This record gives sequence, C-alpha cells and structure tokens, in this order.
Amino acid sequence: MTVWLAIVCAGCLTFATRFLPLSSLMPKTLPNWLKLAMKFVPMSVLSAIIVPAIFISPETGAFNIQDNFRIGAAVTAIIVAYYTRSTVITILSGLSVIWLLTLLL
Amino acid sequence: MVIFSLQNKASLGEFLEGLKDCLPLQIGVVPFGIVFGIVGLDAGLTPLQTFLMSSILFGGASQIVFTQLYASGTPFAILVTTVSAVNLRHILYGIVMSEYLQKLPLKWRLLLGYLLTDEAFAISHQRFTQRHCSESMHYHLLGSGIMLWSCWQISTIIGIIAGPKIPDFFQLSFAVPLTFIAVVVPSLVHFPQIFASLISGCAALVFQFLPFNLWLIIAATCGISAGTASSYLINLRQKQKGFRQ
Repeated sequence: MTVWLAIVCAGCLTFATRFLPLSSLMPKTLPNWLKLAMKFVPMSVLSAIIVPAIFISPETGAFNIQDNFRIGAAVTAIIVAYYTRSTVITILSGLSVIWLLTLLL
Repeated sequence: MVIFSLQNKASLGEFLEGLKDCLPLQIGVVPFGIVFGIVGLDAGLTPLQTFLMSSILFGGASQIVFTQLYASGTPFAILVTTVSAVNLRHILYGIVMSEYLQKLPLKWRLLLGYLLTDEAFAISHQRFTQRHCSESMHYHLLGSGIMLWSCWQISTIIGIIAGPKIPDFFQLSFAVPLTFIAVVVPSLVHFPQIFASLISGCAALVFQFLPFNLWLIIAATCGISAGTASSYLINLRQKQKGFRQ
C-alpha cells in the first residue's frame, strides 16, 4: 500500500514541477543562481548513483576494488559513451565487457 | 480525442512532425525503458506497480532511482523527496515553454505539462525557436510528447515480460549505471559539469555509512554546489578579465 502511495506522491510532485511554470501560480523568472544550480541536478544525482554501483559490492555491501569486473566495464562504457554518444552501444559495450570477464576469469 | 481536435490541416501537420522529429531519440529511450521494466520487478515491485509507475511518474531516471531506493528499504519521506528532486529540472523546461504555451486553455497546459520530458522539450523547443511561430505549433509538442510516452510505456512492458526470463549470468542490474553513464557522459563538456559529477560520485562513496540512503541526496547536493560554485567563479573571472582589457 505504501508503495502505491509513494508512486502517487512522487508522481504528483513530478507533475507539479512540470505544470507549475505553465500555470499562472509561479513567478515567470527564478533567481539566476537557482537556474544555474538546476542545470547540475541531473548529472549530480546520476553520478551519485553510478559510482557506488561500480565500487560497492551488491552481495556484501562493502567497498570492492579487487577482482571487480564492473570497474573495467564502467571505464569501457565511459569511453564508448564519450565517442559514440549512443545509449544502446554504451550499455552493450559495458555489459559485453562484464560477460567476457566473467566467462574468461 | 475530441477536445484536442486534429481536423485542422496545420495542426495535423505540426502533430505529425512532432511525432517524426522525436522518433530518432527513441533509440535511447527504448533500452532505458526495458532496463526500467527489468529492475522494477527485481526491486520487488509488482508488474502492475512497475507498469503504472511509467505513466504516473513518467520520468526515466527518477523511476530507476525509485526502484533502487525501494529495494534497499528507504523510508517513505526520503524516497519521495529524492525521487522528486531528480525531476526538479523540469521547472526550467516549464519556464522556457511557458513563453509559448501560456495563452493556451488550461486543459492544454495540463496535458502538455504532463508530457514535458527532457526529450520532448529538446525536440519541440528546437521547432519553436528555429522556425516561424504559428497558432497550432503546440501540436508539435503534443506529437513529440505522445511519441515519447507511447515508446516509454511499450518498452516498460517489454522489460516486465522479458526480464524474468533472462538468466542471472547477464547481470542486467548493471545496465542501470551503464544507462546513466550513457546519459551523463555526453553532458560533461565544461569543467563545472565534470567537477560536479566527480564530487558527487566521491561523496556518494564517502557518505555510504549514513542511514536511510541519505547518501544519495547529500552527494547530489555536494555535486550541485560544486558545479554551481565553480561555474559562478569561472564566470566572475572571465568578467574581470574582460574589464581589464
């Protein structure tokens, strides 16, 4: 039940962020520093998810560098994303590296 | 759709163009949606919850953040706050779009607001700024929005159906950070962006010990502050240089 409530609440707040500027309720200009800060929101949140997903072991929850195939896979994906800018090729390259390493080692 | 009539030839043209312009972006959206469908079930959500989240929340990154936080037992308030924070950037899109949409009737603004995503904004903003304004140009945003919405729903369903059949060997949960790498890396062009991303990533590791997954929102705040501050300082220095010359 709380899951549904969470989905609906987050959904309403998200809709508010999209609709409020189109309504007449919100001021048409925001302070410049706030506009600037908002541009950094997506990359900051996503980077904060990416890094632990690479270094923290999902099984033990501990920091892990040794024998961690995800590091090589992530580095490959970063290079591929930089040059191709393609979601599909990036995901596939990262996954292929991790599959290969799991098979070979 | 009686209220949003497409009888007018110009409106229909704009609508179809919106659909068409947004189509190439679906190459990035569809795998993202499939990954979401897979990790939604993985996180312990029911197929119905996973499916309906795609239309209730309708925001790729925020939906995946939801599943990750839900799977690790995050308290309700922090879950809802963090997920909504991911979507704060839409306010910027709304402000830009309000210039073109503010005279429309409320039902139109409600619908277009709901459909206002990163991709639809990018595509229709291009049309609004690069070509002549017309009375029916909001149909372009309707078209690009509906294209994205449909592909997002369909790819979520594909993920829900296919996910459980894929063996553990493929480690598909790792597709989440990979998808985000594909989103973030192309946006890292200037120093402040790179700095924000690095600080946020390091802070996410440092603050792992915090309870309730608070590390995510704290690390993001560190990254946003680092990016904003460095961007401000760089601008300031450039202005000073300009004065001296």
